[in-house]
Amino acid sequence: MTARLERSTFRAVGTMCEAAVTAGPNDGRFARLALASARAEVAACEAALSRFDAASDLSRLNAAGGEWTAVDRRLVEALRLALRAREDTDGRFDPTVLPALVAAGYDRSFEQLAERPARRAAGWRAGAAVEIEDEAGLVRLLEPGAAVDLGGIGKGYAASQALDAMHDAWPMLPGGLVDLGGDLALRGDTPEHGPWRIRIADPRRPGATAGVLVLDSGGVATSGRDVRRFGPGGSLHHLIDPETGAPAEAGPLTVTVVAPDAAEAEAHATALGISPPADAAAHVAAHPRISALYIPHEGAALPLGALPLAQRRIVVRAA
Amino acid sequence: MQRVWAVVLSVWAMLAIVAVLAWTHHPPAPVSSPAAAQTLVVKGANGKQQLVVVQPGALGATHGTTSTSGVVR
Repeated sequence: MTARLERSTFRAVGTMCEAAVTAGPNDGRFARLALASARAEVAACEAALSRFDAASDLSRLNAAGGEWTAVDRRLVEALRLALRAREDTDGRFDPTVLPALVAAGYDRSFEQLAERPARRAAGWRAGAAVEIEDEAGLVRLLEPGAAVDLGGIGKGYAASQALDAMHDAWPMLPGGLVDLGGDLALRGDTPEHGPWRIRIADPRRPGATAGVLVLDSGGVATSGRDVRRFGPGGSLHHLIDPETGAPAEAGPLTVTVVAPDAAEAEAHATALGISPPADAAAHVAAHPRISALYIPHEGAALPLGALPLAQRRIVVRAA
Repeated sequence: MQRVWAVVLSVWAMLAIVAVLAWTHHPPAPVSSPAAAQTLVVKGANGKQQLVVVQPGALGATHGTTSTSGVVR
């Protein structure tokens, strides 16, 4: 018998998730252990990072009114990554957009959203300061009314953590993949002893493929305004432009980012999701660690950077 | 007798030539099914239409899919 991909599918972080490991014929017990570890780690990340759970560490921080709050180390790590990503993206990704997001109408988990007109958060401004005491595991928000949302980085962080958890549970793990609603972390060998092949769904043609990525390791994330729409007639989306505090007007239908880490991929995907094509191209050129496939509402998809696409598209005629 | 030997030699020479040709010329690889290729008409950046062919065989089995998180609308 040859190696196979053992999979576990589950619902978490508001979406469908999957963990998968490359397993030999006698690895069944190790595979089940690794998959269970991934699932437990995703649950732990959700308990720490979700803003839709009033008991989560993030909700307690947001409700603390600027007081120091003891939080899980996962929230400390995710906040550190998010604040670094805010610097890397010149503020296009900002974890403190929550007041603007809530004012726009995205104030409960997506399935429970009511249709109501958008408002703008009074007096809100981007770039709120967050203070972190790493060793003590303490965090506080320094500005009145500030609140954090890790929706633009949390799934990527959780995917990376779950992949690490699988390796901790099965140190000889040949290879594995964690997919949290389209944000993926992957590493090691596939059952075919080759690279991982990740399909990029085409948002303009349901069921079709916009490209196939070929990766040995790293993270992949897609951000877009093709599905998470709300408000009157689905006229609003969840990608807030930190400059205006409202759902962004510029930007692609979807953008897929490849990076060494899934959290990094997701943060950059969120930033590129509100960027016009020229800005997106400049952003990727300035960040050689990432590459992207930018799919506008109309016209050709734009591969940006050294995108590891499997399929070759040949233009045979231009009219 | 000389004519017999000449005929035998020429037959052997012809067989040798055929054998060499058979050895050096491999049969052509089977052509992949045209149905495997994807032809797309897409609009270029300047509005021009482009006919794009996605190479056959490039869309093999995949291990995962990335897309915007699917949620209930």
